[in-house]
This record gives sequence, C-alpha cells and structure tokens, in this order.
Amino acid sequence: MFNVLLGNLPYLLQGALVTLWLSVAVVGLGTLLGVGMGILATTRSRVAQTVVTGYIFVLRGIPVLVVMFLGYYAFPAFGLRVNIYVAVGLAQIVYLGAFVAEITRSAILSIPAGQIAAARSLGMRRPAILRQVILPQATRIAIAPLLNSALTAVKQTSYASVVGVWELTYAAREIVERTLAAFQIFIGVMAIYFLICYPLSLAARWSENRLSFSH
Amino acid sequence: MDYAAQTAVFLLAQFPKLLAGFLITVGISAAAIPLALALGLALLAPRMAKSRPVRSATVGYVDLMRNTPLLVQIYLIYFGLPVLGFFPSEFTCGVAGIALQHGAFLVETYRAGIESISERQREAARAIGMNRFTAFRLVILPQAMMRILGPLGNQLIVLIKDTSLVSAIGVAELTMTGKVIIERSAASVEIFVAVALFYLVLTSVLGAAFRLIEHRVAERI
Repeated sequence: MFNVLLGNLPYLLQGALVTLWLSVAVVGLGTLLGVGMGILATTRSRVAQTVVTGYIFVLRGIPVLVVMFLGYYAFPAFGLRVNIYVAVGLAQIVYLGAFVAEITRSAILSIPAGQIAAARSLGMRRPAILRQVILPQATRIAIAPLLNSALTAVKQTSYASVVGVWELTYAAREIVERTLAAFQIFIGVMAIYFLICYPLSLAARWSENRLSFSH
Repeated sequence: MDYAAQTAVFLLAQFPKLLAGFLITVGISAAAIPLALALGLALLAPRMAKSRPVRSATVGYVDLMRNTPLLVQIYLIYFGLPVLGFFPSEFTCGVAGIALQHGAFLVETYRAGIESISERQREAARAIGMNRFTAFRLVILPQAMMRILGPLGNQLIVLIKDTSLVSAIGVAELTMTGKVIIERSAASVEIFVAVALFYLVLTSVLGAAFRLIEHRVAERI
C-alpha cells in the first residue's frame, strides 16, 4: 500500500531539500531583521519606536499567506522581475521579522531599569550597557520564544506552495494529482516535516525548562 | 482620472465581493473556534491523567499537530477522506483541520495555566476540607482562567489568520476572493492590501475584546 510513497520518495526528498534551504534562509534572515528592529524599538528615538510598533502591529494582524501573495504581486506592480523564491521568501522574512522584533523588544524591556541605572552610575556608555548588561540576559530570555517562532516559520514555508513555489508540499500535490494516493503521500510528507520540525520543537522545550529564570 | 481616484473607484466596486469573502472567513472562524476550544478541553483530562499510556498518547497527538504544517493536515483531510469513501464539503474539511490543529495548541495553553497555580494552594484547599473537585472549581480554576486569557486570545488570533489556508482547497473566503478578483483585473497589490486590512480589523477587534475581558476579570478577582 505504501509502495507509491516509496516510489515517489526521491522526488519528495528533492522537495524537502528546497524546504530546508527556504527554511534556513527565512529563519536566518528573518531573525536577523527582527532582532535589529527589536533593538531599534528600545532606543530613545520616538520615530524608531513608532515605526517598529506599527510594523509589528500590522504584520502580526494579517495571515502569512496574504503577505506571501503581496510579495508575489508587489514586484511586478513596480515593473520589477524577481524570482518567485526571492519574492515569497522576502515576504516570509518580513513576516517572521515582526514576531522576532516583538520577542526581542519584550526581552530587552524585561531587564529591570535598576540594572541600567547601576551600569550608568559605573560610567558605562549606552552601547556598552547594551552589549554587556542587557543582551546577555535578554538572549537567555528570548531563546525559547525565538525557537518557537522559527518552528512556526519552517511550517509556514509549506504555505508558499499555494502561491506557486515549488517545495515539499507542492511536490506532494503534483504526485497526488498523478497517483491519487492522497493518504500515503500526505502522511509521508507529514512524516518528513515532523523529522525537520521535531528537533526544533525539542530544543524549544529544553530551553524553556533550562534557560528560563525560575520564579 | 489619476491613479488614486481610479484605485478608489475600483476598490469600492469590489467591496461587496470582498465583504462576502470576509463574512465567510468570519463563518469559518465562528465554526472552528468553539470546536477547537472544546477539543482542547476534552484533551485536558487525558493530557494530565495519572496513567502514563493515556498521557503519552495525548502528548503524541499534540506533538504530531505541532510539528507538521496545518496546510498538509488540511490536504490530508480533504484529499484523503474521499479515498475512504467520505465526501465532506471543502468548508467542513477546512473547519475540521483548523479545529484539530488548534485544539492541540489549546490543551497546552490550558495546562500551562493550571500548572502555573502553586501546588500549595491545592494542598491548602484540601486541608480546609474541600474535595478535589471543589478545590479545582473554587481555587485553581478562577486563577488559572486569569492566566489563560492572554495566551488564549493570541491563539485565537492565530486561528483566524489560519482560516486563510482554506483558500487552498477552494473555499471562497477572503483570501480566495482576493485571488479571484486579481485574475480578472490588473490591480493586484491594491486588492491584497484591502484583503490585509479586512484581516487586520478582524484580528485587532478580537485582540481588543480579549484585553477588555482580561481587565474585567482582573477587577473581579
């Protein structure tokens, strides 16, 4: 019964490879963007605060699929020809960035103000305080939610197939259209996603238990 | 006409269609939310059961749901059930997929809230003569509810956003409507900005409602 899955496994694994590359790019760049935006939101600049708050509010309120469609249609609307992986990947990076920005911002703001006052009274300047006092503690707080947002982003790469990006889920749909073996193929695909996602999930759980400050 | 005026006229003309799609999105959410909430509640007892096999089976289900994409789960239901001789509608498949996924997330939300209440409170309640059920109802539950409300609101916002995936199996909800309009016109980005705004209104209203409830409940306790 699962022969059809075995026969199509090489094709699915090709798709899984694309999913992996897409995931690495999206999680890497999206986290980088989000951390930058999150730090920006905690500076004294009113403009930066407002821009980042707006960015977080808007992106978190709309579905990632809609953002992918926007990425897909936005470049041609301005007369630009962009590879679909780049367009939809960028959309996902911007989307993940909003979640990471919120995580980063709240992790930094959770550091007690007294510590910053203490560091200043020792004569430390702002960049030094950020580097040596705030970020080491904030990283510890942020790591579990960051892993969870990465996990979500990896799963969301499958939504790109709806826009027309060829990856694991798209490959699966092609095979199902040809073989009609929906059960075997989609269960196989779920197993592949599980193998990719479960380590991330375990890492998130581990860091929730080990790295969080106990209350 | 200049670009702004043209766009405004075009979007106004499409408004009834978008509104119809929006109402279907609201309908999917309204059907899936109670089901997901109930599934989460139903899984709570097995998730916290003393029996290890029962607990492991529940954790297994939750892990499976958490580590595979909702889109693939919806495809499995929609394309898989006809193989077994069942032919539910696209709407039903979408609602079922969303409820099965979010029920798994909600049971963890509920559990985290309950486990965050100190064991000593339970012991104290038992010591003054309450039985386990009364202690849970009068001491644990009200405090746990308070802590669950925030994460619950966030989870339901994710659920509403996930209804957009049902467009992939052909339900004419908001995202699908946007796609169909684009296929027949050239104003693609403008339409999806409008679609995004509809979602933004829905999710921020729900978010605001939850913050309000949180405040009210906090005042009572």
